[in-house]
Amino acid sequence: MTELLVRNACVIDPIRGINGEIMDIAIRDGRIVESVSDRAEMIDARRCLTLPGGIDSHTHVCGTKVNFGRYMSPEDMRAGRTRRRGRMHVTSGYYVPTTFGNSYRYSAMGYTTLLEGAMAPLEARHTHEEFTATPHQDMLANTLFDGNWAVMDAVREKNIQKTAAIVGWTLNAVKGYAIKLTNPGGTEAWGWGEDLTSIHEPVRHFEVTPAEIISTMIRANELLRLPHSVHLHCNNLGKPGNYQTTLATFDLVPDLNPDRQTLYATHVQFHAYGGGTWRNICSKAEEITRSINNKPQIVMDMGQIMFCRTMTMTADGPMEFNLHCLHHNKWSNHDVELETGSGIIPVTYSKKSAVNCIMWAIGLELALLTKSPWQCLLETDNPNGAPFVKYPEVIGLLMSKRYRDEECATLHADTEKRTSLHALEREMDWFDIAVMTRAGQAKALGIINQGKGHLGIGAEADIAIYPIRTDSLDPAREYRKVVEGFQKTRYTIKRGRVVSRDGEIIVDGANATFWTNARIPEDLRVDNDPEFIRRFQEFYTVRMSNYPVQEVYLPRGRCVETESFT
Amino acid sequence: MKVILESKVRKKPTIPIEAEAIIPRNFLKGTDLVVYEGNKERTLSELFWIFVEGTAVSPENIEVVLKGDTSRIKRVGEYMDTGSILISGDIGMHCGNFMSGGTIEILGNADAWLGREMRGGTILCRGNAGHYCATGYRGEKKGMLGGKVEVFGNTGDFCAEYLAGGEVHVHGSTGDFPGIEMRGGQLTIEGDATRPCANMKGGTCVILGKVHEMLPTFERIDRIVLPETKITADVYKGDVANRGKGSLMVKCPGPA
Repeated sequence: MTELLVRNACVIDPIRGINGEIMDIAIRDGRIVESVSDRAEMIDARRCLTLPGGIDSHTHVCGTKVNFGRYMSPEDMRAGRTRRRGRMHVTSGYYVPTTFGNSYRYSAMGYTTLLEGAMAPLEARHTHEEFTATPHQDMLANTLFDGNWAVMDAVREKNIQKTAAIVGWTLNAVKGYAIKLTNPGGTEAWGWGEDLTSIHEPVRHFEVTPAEIISTMIRANELLRLPHSVHLHCNNLGKPGNYQTTLATFDLVPDLNPDRQTLYATHVQFHAYGGGTWRNICSKAEEITRSINNKPQIVMDMGQIMFCRTMTMTADGPMEFNLHCLHHNKWSNHDVELETGSGIIPVTYSKKSAVNCIMWAIGLELALLTKSPWQCLLETDNPNGAPFVKYPEVIGLLMSKRYRDEECATLHADTEKRTSLHALEREMDWFDIAVMTRAGQAKALGIINQGKGHLGIGAEADIAIYPIRTDSLDPAREYRKVVEGFQKTRYTIKRGRVVSRDGEIIVDGANATFWTNARIPEDLRVDNDPEFIRRFQEFYTVRMSNYPVQEVYLPRGRCVETESFT
Repeated sequence: MKVILESKVRKKPTIPIEAEAIIPRNFLKGTDLVVYEGNKERTLSELFWIFVEGTAVSPENIEVVLKGDTSRIKRVGEYMDTGSILISGDIGMHCGNFMSGGTIEILGNADAWLGREMRGGTILCRGNAGHYCATGYRGEKKGMLGGKVEVFGNTGDFCAEYLAGGEVHVHGSTGDFPGIEMRGGQLTIEGDATRPCANMKGGTCVILGKVHEMLPTFERIDRIVLPETKITADVYKGDVANRGKGSLMVKCPGPA
């Protein structure tokens, strides 16, 4: 039995409605309890800001495409090297660091749970192996279904039950957590060298439209009662004028679940462009947020970009090809059999580029114009918009109008004309930031019941104590201190153990991987369906019996059972 | 000043030594340098007998001589900018990485990645060189930018990949894909080559031996007599598949 007592913590815990109370937190065997004995180890938080462990609801840190980003960029592998020190392994890389690099830097920032944004089912083994090597964060994997042949066939037949059965079987087989749709239909069209330009354009050979895929998957998701909603990367990412596609997609979404959103729209900054060409691109954040403010069934995340060199990686193959045609830089393109594809290219976001400046402003506008912080979460689509180590700067920008104005003064002159960021006075408070970096994520991902994102009795003891005194620090003026404070926690506690102290990792991690297992009635199970089995054996290069990821790949797997079809 | 490093007999001679510290400039302040044997930190004197002859006030005058079994020593001459290194036997991988000046002479064979991403200076290899001689690392957009690599024997595959400047001269033959993704510079192969200069963007490649599996994406534009060797050669432009503007000269078959 191990016990720990955190004393004098200034707690903000939005899920329980606690805002800045000074309290003690008692921990026994990795969970938060009422009280502990006198022998418990003690940490004095000295009235510093104490939050539940951070949760990133959309990041790319593990899996084949991240690894491809690593081998594509030897210059990055030379950039962020740190030596072996104490318990810490050697790390390298800045925008695509090694797995331990990711884990340590997230931990130093107080993050304890990560959702890998896109895992191709066929490449799940590798992703799970990298999860094991990201030891300080609990991991969840969004599983890609955007170009899944079996799913598209079921969607064409308008058979929600069958779609759900395929999704349920696949999630169970690859130990995935939720449904991810990346440019639904478009990635399959890219297999034929094409892309879709509207959500009502059919995919060739399958005769289904993205709108049908999205609607059917939303219903299948609710039929399976999965903890998270459908996680959508909309069509037409990064194209001027794409905000209309995004709005049309949002209009498809019914409100089907009282506990959480019905659609999670990711990196919406990349989907909020007006204009028609790169020359007249402008911000449509107001239109997007007006729609979001009227639709409690949708949660989005920012997809903020920051000015730096980074790597874009996504399952959206055609979009990456378009980017490659712009930059003529190195490019990787990848096809995953019957499931999806991917593309990877490096980019540099520069203050000299009007387009980049407008993108930067749109991300902030989205967050500031969304009334409820529960509906717009903070992330940079790491590493697509910026590496996650930039999160503290994003927090600083959201909390300080002065910081935004100072940054705006250094940007391309067109930014002010084509966005409305300069007119936004809103400055977020500590509570909003706590929602946007952990509580909102826990609710959106449906992991509150797993004890994540709050500090109530029985919750997992994932706690971040930042060296910030909220009573004496004015974030609007002293934003530099806010940024510094969020860069390095005083203590990061993971499942009741102090894992990081002042940015130094002091123990070997032991993370868990969450996955969902939906119970499907015998007569609907696809592994009993001879037609499904026949098509699988015919088209895949692997046998159906070799496809599922064995439990040995998840040394600390945690299965979330759902009572589906009820 | 001459620094002679003679490798000691090791219990496990196959464990590679990472010796990026062995560059002439570092010997100005003595021989107290650190290298790695596998993942173990070692001082130079644990692995070598060190003999120093004379003194030097500037690094240009320092010559480092490596003797004995040096075939597993990696990264010798990394970021070297001046002085000279003489290797009397074989040398391990990544010799002369990012080198910007000075001279490295190898009397034996060199392993893979000789002169990778070199900026300047000269490398002479009297024996054969391994794969990826004078290239960029995987994922790098530009390989060698300047200087000269001369190999008197043969090289392995992917010789001068991503060559962007400087000169590579191979007296023997090269393996598969020499000059692939070339952007500039000059590549000369006196022996044979297979599938040369795929996806070339710029630069000049001269092949005086036989070309196996010539790529179809090169357009023959001329026939000239090379001024230095008086050999008649066909001139190709390419790689036209990606609108490349390189020139590839191949000796005409048959009597010339």
